[in-house]
Amino acid sequence: MTAAIDVQQVEKMYRGKIHALRGVDMRVERGEVFGLLGPNGAGKSTLVKILMTVISPTKCQGTMLGKPIGHKATLANVGYLPEHHRFPEYLTGAQIVDYFGALAGTPRAERKRRIGEMLDLVGMGRWADTKIKQYSKGMRQRVGIAQAMINDPDLILMDEPTDGVDPVGRKDIRDVVRTIRDRGKTVLINSHLLSELEMVCDRVAIMVQGEVRQQGSLDDLTEPHRRYEVSFVGDDQSAAALLAGMEGVSVEAGIASIPTEDPNRIQPVIDCLRASQIVVKGVRAYRPSLEQLFLDAVGEDSGPGAGPNKHSRMHMEARP
Amino acid sequence: MILMQTGAIFLDAYRELNAKKLFWITMVLSALVVLVCAMLGINKQGITFLWFELPFPVNSDMISPKLFYLTVFTSFGLGLWLTWIATILALVSTAGMFPDLIASGSIETVLSKPMSRTRLFLTKYLTGLVFMGMQLVVFCSGFFLLLGIRGETWQPGLFLAVPIVLAFFSFLFSVQVLLGLVTKSTIASLLLTLLFWLGLFGLNAADAILVSVRAASEIRLEDAQESLDNQIAIAERTVDRMRGKGEPIPGEADEPLPEGAANTLEAVNERIPRRAESLQEAQDAIPKRRVWSDRIFIAKTLLPKTGETIALLERNLISDEELDALMGDTTDTPEQFLGTMNDPRAQRRAQDIIRKRSITWVLGTSLAFEAIVLGICLMLFARRDF
Repeated sequence: MTAAIDVQQVEKMYRGKIHALRGVDMRVERGEVFGLLGPNGAGKSTLVKILMTVISPTKCQGTMLGKPIGHKATLANVGYLPEHHRFPEYLTGAQIVDYFGALAGTPRAERKRRIGEMLDLVGMGRWADTKIKQYSKGMRQRVGIAQAMINDPDLILMDEPTDGVDPVGRKDIRDVVRTIRDRGKTVLINSHLLSELEMVCDRVAIMVQGEVRQQGSLDDLTEPHRRYEVSFVGDDQSAAALLAGMEGVSVEAGIASIPTEDPNRIQPVIDCLRASQIVVKGVRAYRPSLEQLFLDAVGEDSGPGAGPNKHSRMHMEARP
Repeated sequence: MILMQTGAIFLDAYRELNAKKLFWITMVLSALVVLVCAMLGINKQGITFLWFELPFPVNSDMISPKLFYLTVFTSFGLGLWLTWIATILALVSTAGMFPDLIASGSIETVLSKPMSRTRLFLTKYLTGLVFMGMQLVVFCSGFFLLLGIRGETWQPGLFLAVPIVLAFFSFLFSVQVLLGLVTKSTIASLLLTLLFWLGLFGLNAADAILVSVRAASEIRLEDAQESLDNQIAIAERTVDRMRGKGEPIPGEADEPLPEGAANTLEAVNERIPRRAESLQEAQDAIPKRRVWSDRIFIAKTLLPKTGETIALLERNLISDEELDALMGDTTDTPEQFLGTMNDPRAQRRAQDIIRKRSITWVLGTSLAFEAIVLGICLMLFARRDF
């Protein structure tokens, strides 16, 4: 089966001046929740809008649900929740879902059946017949998700779905996303809220300045950064001297870092420290969060010291 | 799917207009206008409003009830209500249609549906026209009944007002849509459209004046020619009479011509040189006036002809003979008005010139203008990144 989204070399130049996308390669597999991350101006929304034919690309190769990007008929099988959406104020929640369902080509009978179902799914069933002008931002966001799902799409693109939603609502939206995935659908989420994405995404892509810097599952992306950390009481220089012969071990701020996932490899470090009467306070398996991966990717672009990059902090390598 | 999407857009447009209330306000006002017109009447004493006599020097001996109500329809219902007030209300109601559609946050959801931008644009454009069309159908139905019941004439031709006024509205609406797409502002597009309309109104007024001036010049030329011909005929009869009596004829045989006379006829009728001079002046004036009249005509050809489009209905409903009856007798024109714009003959001729402009020119070139404007709109809408 083809990928849900498989694009290569997507470029967008605005008015011949602003290079918003500089050759984006991205692949979203069917049935997964895919997170698109990046700082403001990275080109995430531009990429999503290109996929949804809202913006025309300067250059684009690839497919969405097996059809070339820009193929209008394919959009009948795609749902979209835009960022900062503005639905007509004179419509009720049910009317909005019905209207966009009709535009998506969903037959009337099916719409009638699914409107209630979708609004219930996002927790808006009680307010189905209330005009949207009376909704809070979170409620509008929920209705937006319902309209994106009314046509029972195979692929749903959500641009900042938890924007303006309270913590309880965010959890509800995460649950909805999981439900959608459990039904075999593909979800692409574009968000700044990294902790939210971390909880639901199977794979992520990190975009910086119009390019995808990293892409893969959270396991794949964190794998090079996983390590054990042994904290101790004592000065770093003495500890570094003791551990100098051990490959890859570094010492910084009372912590000896061992780049491994194998607990057997940390035993010699503990033994060595204890043999020198250094008190071991604790041992923990460290796996970087999505936020740290993101900050790394962004920080690389900004240069050392420009951003909150762990590599830019003072780092003392253990030397032999 | 096409029908479903089109239906959804029309339903949404209806809901939008319904929410704005202006749709129903205009509809109620249209019904009120018909009701007020129904209260007008004409009898042998004059014009009445309910049971009051109005001081107008017109009665049913001069014009029939049919012509009276047709005139009320064309001058008040059509000329004032539909082409001014209802049109302005319709422009106000529809001004936000495209700026709202392309507003950030709105357009993304619509464009992400399986529907081409061209079809989306044209469907949305049609919804604006349907708004006006519904108002027109209601108004014309009311007046149709009014004419049938009060004017005792059933005029299905009155329903021609629907396509004609719709065409007139569409010329302005297309400009409003273009301005809405360019400025993205409801207020700016509305105000600039009204300004454009004012420009067209000015152009129409200038055209009407220049056509009247040109008609007056032609009449003056014809009058001068006729007057000269009369004086020459008088002179010829005088010469014949003198010849019959055997009197000496100036300029013949050895008889000298009096000073200032160029020939025998001028010698016997000293008015001939003055009339010839008047004729020359009238001939000289025509090319100058024709230049400006032609320039205005070219400008009008390129732009939508709002005035003439509406006049098409009057042409259809009121015959030339009925128009003559409405304009009154033109034979007893005061002398000071002869050959001027106020000369009823000039007014009638100007009316004839405007009425005789072909439907192809009136509608064809106006629709061509609209097509070009819509083409630009489509190009902007289809190619823009939102």
